[in-house]
Amino acid sequence: MRIRAVLGSVLGSVTVLVIGWQAGAAAAHTAAAGAATESSATSPSAATDPTSSPADTPTSTSKPTSSATAAPPAGSASSSAGATGTYVGSTIETPFGPMQVEIVVSKGKITDVKALKLTDQGGRSVEISNYAAPILRSEVLAAQSANVSTVGGATYTSEGYLNSLQSALDKAHL
Amino acid sequence: MSWQRRVFSTMGTVASITFDSMSPNGADLRAVRAAFDHFDATYSLYKPDSELSLIASHVLELGDASVEVRHTYAEALEWRAATQGEFSPHRPDGVIDLSGIVKALAMNAAGTELANMGATNWCLNVGGDILVSGLDDKVEPWAVGITDPFDRGELLTTATLSGSRRACATSGSAERGDHIWTIGAAPTQFVQATVVADDIVTADVLATAIIAGGPTALDHSCANWSIDVLTIDKEGEIRMTPGFAMHVPSEP
Repeated sequence: MRIRAVLGSVLGSVTVLVIGWQAGAAAAHTAAAGAATESSATSPSAATDPTSSPADTPTSTSKPTSSATAAPPAGSASSSAGATGTYVGSTIETPFGPMQVEIVVSKGKITDVKALKLTDQGGRSVEISNYAAPILRSEVLAAQSANVSTVGGATYTSEGYLNSLQSALDKAHL
Repeated sequence: MSWQRRVFSTMGTVASITFDSMSPNGADLRAVRAAFDHFDATYSLYKPDSELSLIASHVLELGDASVEVRHTYAEALEWRAATQGEFSPHRPDGVIDLSGIVKALAMNAAGTELANMGATNWCLNVGGDILVSGLDDKVEPWAVGITDPFDRGELLTTATLSGSRRACATSGSAERGDHIWTIGAAPTQFVQATVVADDIVTADVLATAIIAGGPTALDHSCANWSIDVLTIDKEGEIRMTPGFAMHVPSEP
């Protein structure tokens, strides 16, 4: 149950992929497929709630424990109950293209889930982390001193141009 | 190599062009200006006799419009579908307004004219949107200063454009947001969004979509297009994709 609780906190799509990774144990495969179908048809929270999935319910009391201690397909750590290590799952097809995840396990608990690759239909490899992330203002301010050739900004009118940095730059070079 | 700079008003804003004048007629920007004039004369809703104004006033049926106008409208509709409605060629009152895409198309046409006249290194800035080719006068990648929306006399950061990344467009909710309409009652969370892309139409449309659609549009755009994005929200928080961070020069 602990593993599913951890997975419940992960985004729905990633959760499905990790369940797919667990499918290395053949017995869990049916439950994983059921959960995957459920998640695509309903909300992610429904998919990660073991009791809401008909396919999941019969195995939810025992399977998570057994799949946590079973040797992962690509794992290099021991298969003891307190397994620790990093495991790379197999590549799985998603609506967004092939995707692969890596999980970090510490003493039998999943402590981190990382997306390794996600390739879109155009063949461009992107990472989940490619989304815009907050950064400190000081990190970009440091770059200000560089010489600039031109100035970009939200579209200005002819009047707005007169007070723009681009206008000052143009005047300096004309 | 001799460098020249031209500044002129067009499309309700100002164009600044810096270019190396390699060819004998390098100083003649008539063809470039004609490209802008054509798009302005055809699509401006500020000109009562433009084709789009005639459509807006029901003097001209859309079906009777020129092939070019219908093609541009179709392209804008494709962008509306691709951005899940975050970009739209329709004003809330139903009037077809293609200003969200026409400036970028005009910049593409102007770039073609610059290449035709023999310029290989140039920088075209139209109202704060930028399309470049080659390298600058210091034989370095073109460095674009990004305006700080909270203090327009200051720069937020710098982005260099090199390789296939030739275009940089910025949209904002503070200045001339007249072609951006937020979806439903969703408030605009970002005050400014800068998108670096291989082409100026993609950069311009997605910058508009991100301002209109907020964080959802930001994630959708980053996931579906090859773009690098910098946003700043109402609280002043800056967000950047890893790709955009690559454009920010490290300190010398």
